[in-house]
Amino acid sequence: MIDPYYLQQLAIGLSLGMTYALMAIGFTLIFGVLNVVNFAHGEVYTLGAFAGLVLISATAPPIFAVIFIALAIGAMAGFSLERIAFKPFRRFTDEASLKSRAMRESTLLSSLAVSIVVREALEIVFGSQMRSVPFEYLINTPVRIGPVILVTGDFIIFGVAAAMLIGLQYLLTRTRIGLSIRAVSNNPLGAKYVGIDTDRTIIMTFVVGSMMGAAAGILTGLYYGAIFPAMGFVPGIKAFVAMVMGGLSSIPGAVICALILGISESMATTFVSSGWSDMVAYGFLILTLIFFPNGLFGARRERV
Amino acid sequence: MTALKTASLAALVTGALTGVLTTGTALAADTVKIGYQLPLTGETAQYGQDFRKAAEIALTEFNAAGKPFKAEIVFEDSRSDAKEGTNIARKFVDDKEIVGVLGDFTSGVSMASAQVYKDAGMPQLSQTASHPDYTKISKYQFRNIATQAQEGPYNAKWMLSKGYKNIAVIAEQTDWGQSVVSGFTDGVKANGGTVVFSEFFNRGLKDYRSLISKLERAKPDAIYTGFFYEDGAQFLRQVQQLGIKTPVYSTSAAYSPKLIELAGEAAEGVHLTSNFLPTDPAPHIQHFVTEWKAASNGAVPGQFPAQAYDAVRIMLAAVEKAYPNPTREKVRDALAQTKDFPGVTGKTSFSADREAEKELVKVEVKGGAFVPVAD
Repeated sequence: MIDPYYLQQLAIGLSLGMTYALMAIGFTLIFGVLNVVNFAHGEVYTLGAFAGLVLISATAPPIFAVIFIALAIGAMAGFSLERIAFKPFRRFTDEASLKSRAMRESTLLSSLAVSIVVREALEIVFGSQMRSVPFEYLINTPVRIGPVILVTGDFIIFGVAAAMLIGLQYLLTRTRIGLSIRAVSNNPLGAKYVGIDTDRTIIMTFVVGSMMGAAAGILTGLYYGAIFPAMGFVPGIKAFVAMVMGGLSSIPGAVICALILGISESMATTFVSSGWSDMVAYGFLILTLIFFPNGLFGARRERV
Repeated sequence: MTALKTASLAALVTGALTGVLTTGTALAADTVKIGYQLPLTGETAQYGQDFRKAAEIALTEFNAAGKPFKAEIVFEDSRSDAKEGTNIARKFVDDKEIVGVLGDFTSGVSMASAQVYKDAGMPQLSQTASHPDYTKISKYQFRNIATQAQEGPYNAKWMLSKGYKNIAVIAEQTDWGQSVVSGFTDGVKANGGTVVFSEFFNRGLKDYRSLISKLERAKPDAIYTGFFYEDGAQFLRQVQQLGIKTPVYSTSAAYSPKLIELAGEAAEGVHLTSNFLPTDPAPHIQHFVTEWKAASNGAVPGQFPAQAYDAVRIMLAAVEKAYPNPTREKVRDALAQTKDFPGVTGKTSFSADREAEKELVKVEVKGGAFVPVAD
């Protein structure tokens, strides 16, 4: 018989991993699959959470309206983000610029700039304090399963993450838009030559990925009951690690690695001081880069 | 944003300065300057903003009271950054008109700046720096907060008197958090109890459930915690989620209305110590609470703003005692003589090693409010 303590830690790790996975899915879609360096995903996540919070404090909407507004704000944020930080770098259409790595990677700084501006703007408008969510909206009512205690949010987050994962896999492998996303990520120039509207494809990917990011933000906000301007930073790092471990371009890989990360962190707490548990994520990142430069699930070159 | 805020701050300070100067000349009265270094931007901005609000209330009152001179406070934003703190300290020291300094917020920045004040002979009074080493730097460092060396043993006795013999301790991984654990652990050992578990966590951790499960495995009778309200609210909520009924005790640092707002009913039954009770009917306390509410949309002040309010008033009283012709040395001596100062955080005297001797009040969260309890 296994000590129920370890079962509980496993459950906590899984639920922690699910919150990372939720963030990692949208992140990997833009960063990994579309192959565009984007460091503003954490702020899209925060924006989604604040959009939901503003709606909750203004009216008393049903929970679906909250998710809907977060999705809408996420779509808008994705569209604007692409317009402000990414599109200007695609204005040269000559072959040299399209092939230039420097042009592509300069969005590292432009997206970082957008993320700083958004975070500080949120701080000016809402203040840097943690804001509480009215208790009736929280999704953390405890649920007991045998010796293990979980909360309702764990199941909701699991459901949402699974739906996102399956939906995206379907979109990427079975639909035309998915095909064009993969084509653009594989070879933007080639995609252009065969008649794919690359601009539209990139914008679509940003909109879809950011909607997922915003949904992750509001769900995590309701799960932990605290929303604040800097909330996107830590999940952003964890999602990044999960994506790299998963091989950059594989969404299922990122999800599995997010779960591994969550479980390792909660299990590590048993053996080392909790102050060190963040080290697990960075340790994994380093180990992956040394021993699996293609990621644990990135052996195949196809970007899905 | 920082630049923007600094600019508006500078405008504000200049505005206040000209305002004070003009009224000063109009009344032909002296103006005495005090410096206040505090985080107005960055991660701890919420605390610094509160301190400034409290200081402004105290300053307005002082200047309206018809004293022989007017006081003026120069606010500088340290962003809770030690390097920035020392720069401000040099600036304050160079300004010959400044006779005393308040702040900083964290022990780390206060101690870094203290090195400058020590060499220049500038009295420094921090409203919150509670690291034991801070006042040991020189005879110029004072604080208006009970240290963990006082609070820890006090809480240890309180918990042991309730029959909790095996106690788990957790605290944030900072200088302050370490003083929480060492102060409390010494108190428990001296009074015949056992600390069965002790661990540090990173500030801003979101998920405490692994730590809570691990802690519960040690089967403590009670949990003693060193955290601020943000971390405290998350911790308490997750303790409740995991269905754990072990009583939780905490320090005065968690004493903030925000704790109850964020944790809701999970905060019920938490015990902590404090030296400020906004519900106390004493007129000077109610006066401060009313002024604070007027300045902050009806929010109730926590312990830290109250300490800042008192610190400013203690400093102003010392300047008044040193008047006329206050010098830094005279202000320091006047501060050291402070005895039974009737503040909103209780009567304050400075001991020979410049520690505030505070009376602590035991408080429990009941029905969504902090209620004083006898034991």
